[in-house]
Amino acid sequence: MTKKISRRGLLSGVAAASAAAAAATVSKRSTAFAAPAVVQSTGSTVDITYWGSWSGDLGKAEQEVVKRFNESQSDVKVDYQFQGNYEETAQKLTAALAAKQTPDVSALSDVWWFKFYLNNILAPLNDFITAQELDSSDYVDSLWNEGVRNGTQFWIPFARSTPLFYYNKDAFKEIGLDAPPATWSEFAKIAPQLVQKDGDTVTRSAFTHATGASYVAWIFQGVDWAFGGSYSDPDFTIRINEPKSVAAGEFYRKAIQDGWANITQDPDNGPDSDFYNGLTASTMASTGGLVTIMANAKFDVGTAFLLEEETFGCSTGGAGLAVLASSPPEKQEAAFKYIAFATSPEITTYWSQNTGYMPVRKSAIASPEMQDFFAKNPNYKTAVDQLPKTRQQDSARVWIPNGDQIIGKGLEQILVNGQDPQAAFDEVAKTLTEEAKPVVEALAAL
Amino acid sequence: MQGRASLATHATVDAAPHALPAITRRRAFWRTEWFLFVLFVAPNLFFFSVFSFWPIIYSAWLSFHRWDLIAPVKQYVGIENYRYLLYDDVFHKVLLNTLTYTIGAVGGTLLLGLLLALLLNQPLRWRDGARAVIFAPSLLSGAAISVVWIYMFDPRFGVIARLLSFAHLSSPTWLTDPDWAMPAVLIVSIWKDLGFATVIFLAGLQAIPRDLYEAAKIDGAGAWWRFRSVTIPMLSPIVFFLGVTTILNTFQSFDIIQVMTKGGPVDATNTLIYYVYQEGFVAFNAGRSSAASLVLFAIMLGVTLLQVRYGERKVHYG
Amino acid sequence: MVEVSVLAAPRGAGRGISWPRVAGYAAMALAVIVVGMPLFWMLSGSLKTTQEVFSFPPAWLPASPRWSNYADAWQAAPFGRFYVNSLIIMIAGTAIKMANAICTAYALVFLRFPGKNLIFLVILAGLMVPEQVTILPNYVTLSDVFGQSWINTYQGIILPGAAIAFGTFLLRQTFRGLPREVIEAAKLDGCNHLRLLWDMVIPMSRASVVTVTLLVAVSKWNEYLWPLVITTTEQMRPLTVGLTYLVNRESNTQWGQVMAATVFVIVPLLIVFAFAQKLVIEGVTAGATKG
Repeated sequence: MTKKISRRGLLSGVAAASAAAAAATVSKRSTAFAAPAVVQSTGSTVDITYWGSWSGDLGKAEQEVVKRFNESQSDVKVDYQFQGNYEETAQKLTAALAAKQTPDVSALSDVWWFKFYLNNILAPLNDFITAQELDSSDYVDSLWNEGVRNGTQFWIPFARSTPLFYYNKDAFKEIGLDAPPATWSEFAKIAPQLVQKDGDTVTRSAFTHATGASYVAWIFQGVDWAFGGSYSDPDFTIRINEPKSVAAGEFYRKAIQDGWANITQDPDNGPDSDFYNGLTASTMASTGGLVTIMANAKFDVGTAFLLEEETFGCSTGGAGLAVLASSPPEKQEAAFKYIAFATSPEITTYWSQNTGYMPVRKSAIASPEMQDFFAKNPNYKTAVDQLPKTRQQDSARVWIPNGDQIIGKGLEQILVNGQDPQAAFDEVAKTLTEEAKPVVEALAAL
Repeated sequence: MQGRASLATHATVDAAPHALPAITRRRAFWRTEWFLFVLFVAPNLFFFSVFSFWPIIYSAWLSFHRWDLIAPVKQYVGIENYRYLLYDDVFHKVLLNTLTYTIGAVGGTLLLGLLLALLLNQPLRWRDGARAVIFAPSLLSGAAISVVWIYMFDPRFGVIARLLSFAHLSSPTWLTDPDWAMPAVLIVSIWKDLGFATVIFLAGLQAIPRDLYEAAKIDGAGAWWRFRSVTIPMLSPIVFFLGVTTILNTFQSFDIIQVMTKGGPVDATNTLIYYVYQEGFVAFNAGRSSAASLVLFAIMLGVTLLQVRYGERKVHYG
Repeated sequence: MVEVSVLAAPRGAGRGISWPRVAGYAAMALAVIVVGMPLFWMLSGSLKTTQEVFSFPPAWLPASPRWSNYADAWQAAPFGRFYVNSLIIMIAGTAIKMANAICTAYALVFLRFPGKNLIFLVILAGLMVPEQVTILPNYVTLSDVFGQSWINTYQGIILPGAAIAFGTFLLRQTFRGLPREVIEAAKLDGCNHLRLLWDMVIPMSRASVVTVTLLVAVSKWNEYLWPLVITTTEQMRPLTVGLTYLVNRESNTQWGQVMAATVFVIVPLLIVFAFAQKLVIEGVTAGATKG
């Protein structure tokens, strides 16, 4: 022990020694642990590890994408590993960074990728885009631009969704409407007629709000824009407590107080189940829920663009793919090959048809295969038609650490506790401004 | 760390069969109880040192810094994180919630457990079967079973709403109502721990010598008085034991809240342990999370020291 | 209830129908129904279609049991592998923890050492460190053990939980309650400490050892957060983590399948409990009341 050894080295050495001691104490048949698998590279093939957040049916579709990629060429072999939901994936990536054992490519949701970008964790992709001649103009603009910082691409859209207005066609027909009105104020006028009651108990409300801090802040983004407000400017000037946003908040609150809207009982999964079970005549929920809603509703499901007020507003959400800067250059290049494949027109068509996520390529949307699919699924077309009108999300929700939770909690105060929107948003603005400071500093330092 | 480490290494080397000469040389030491003590206690202490104490020491250090868990730099901020907690309304609410949750869960579990034990102590048929059913929830994964409870609490499709409707009551919107979310979480928590408490109370009841009751009867004590003067005192070691286990369980109860409410709505079920997680792994405020975890650590340590002091006394009394 | 209990007639008294007994049975039935309801709801849910899970009013039983939920859930993720991992983690994890608990408790009670009480308090302090605090430091520690990464290995899953405070505490209580004279007599007969521990102390405290083993094994089986963090591939994941393979936050979650998978997780414990009920309850009982 004359050599200088690090504390970590010492600790781990002792760990092993004591593990042996413990095993020896346990019994004579001391348990031998399997040695960890060693990653082997086979010939010229580059093996890359890909962390994602898709399980169940989505996981199967994802596995299929990876399988097709691995079969399509022999230079790169992708190993897809499910890491839990978006939040858990980000947590694990954080731990992996601390341990310096990161995957090569990772799925990161809209609210998470920026944090890693700020810390220089994500590899700039422009050189790969040029080298591999990826046609960035073919990507849906609002989706593509969300991953660009100062002209550099860090995050490629993959599993993207938008909110959609869902309505029960049968219920709307009963009051003589084929489709929802164009604006929220007109909707508020007809909404009371959509409510059904059994005595004092509301058995069907006109509209159901999402809850759950992150989700509600995402849905409300579009409403806020429609009312002419915004959460913030791109430079982190907070605007959520300005009159137009407050008016949108007041609209949310009043909808509940007037008795025609309620909030979902399933904060984790959104208002989808309320809707397809006929407990509400309409709702706003992710396009990702379309498949389930269509499969479970016992009535005629209608979909529409989000309602307008002063203007139209609709945000995008979901996850994109990013390459880790810590990976060696050849792995980064291989990882990007996979990303290019996974977002190619052909694969995005397969992926979106099997998952309900939006096709990220314009040419995919225009393809005969997709058009054929739209003909069979007109509601799906609504979502895709709305896509070009979507906007990149405000920095306050996606770029301020925990911003979605902070805004969401303010909205919960309004929806659940009936708090005055001005007061709630003032509080939110204060917290957001506070939390934005380190981000602004970090950006200045980049 | 150094001293402990060398002890551990020592132990291993000497205990290993190939180190025979070392053993002969130290035969005298090997025989001493001190050595055996070290051998027996070192692994446990070692694992605690590496996997519990080191993290909490690290946390203590982090609590004076601002860090987002990713950045290479951890910025020293002095007691800023603690001051934040001191003045933060959310944190005050979290402390209050923790108190409510702990008192509710411990009180509910102990009280209902005692009542059920008194019931199952009666000469009723099938009581062993009943005891088994009541004990079963304590074996289950909190995360898994909470998913089931979410559906039971659903005010529309849920079985609880259905049962309430038989009584012509309308269901509260449990998990989305700030006033009802805590009771909902408490119900699940109590449901899960109840069986363990019942079984242990039952054992305690059965260990009470019958003649104590007979004697009290002869003294003319009524039923209530006999309960107060015989049952309760005889059960006090059990109450102590269950108190310790349930309090520590409750302080660290995370799964149920994570799955059912995520601390919401509007922080209504945000407890200290959840706050530590939320600030650390959702908001990535490592410093603030660490400061909160030290508060939690200090509270638990305080509670335990009190209990150990009291418990030690109990053990001697028998 | 108190009334009923203290009146506790000795066995067999009053064969006829008596009010307290009827009330007793009613209360017992109520307790069983209330406590058993979630289990029933889970079983019935596991046989429902998604539509039935979300039907209004809720159906007690599915119209026709959908057994395919179980097969579908089983195929949705490698549950066979998850079972194996859960078993390995539970058995190895429990063995290490129990060895630590027994040895430490024995040393604390029967061996002379300066400052024993302080050491006991240090071990108890281990109980106070919440798992959430340890995750990141432990991940980093395990990422480099002698230059090797223990992330996504069994030892990585198990070793951070190898130390034990609560079990040590319980066993220490029990050991202290053992008759001193017997132990001293054995010592005088030249019995060394290992023999004493193995042949006398453990058998005499069997009930407590069983209890602690049970509690440790159950908590190992149900562990979620750490195994989720430390494993990166499905080959290494236990059942509790496997359950998340079925829940899709973004779309189509088949709730019937989720319930069926929940049954996968909890059934082994219920079966073991059903068979070992007497032993388990006696163990729990003795562990708590001794000392």
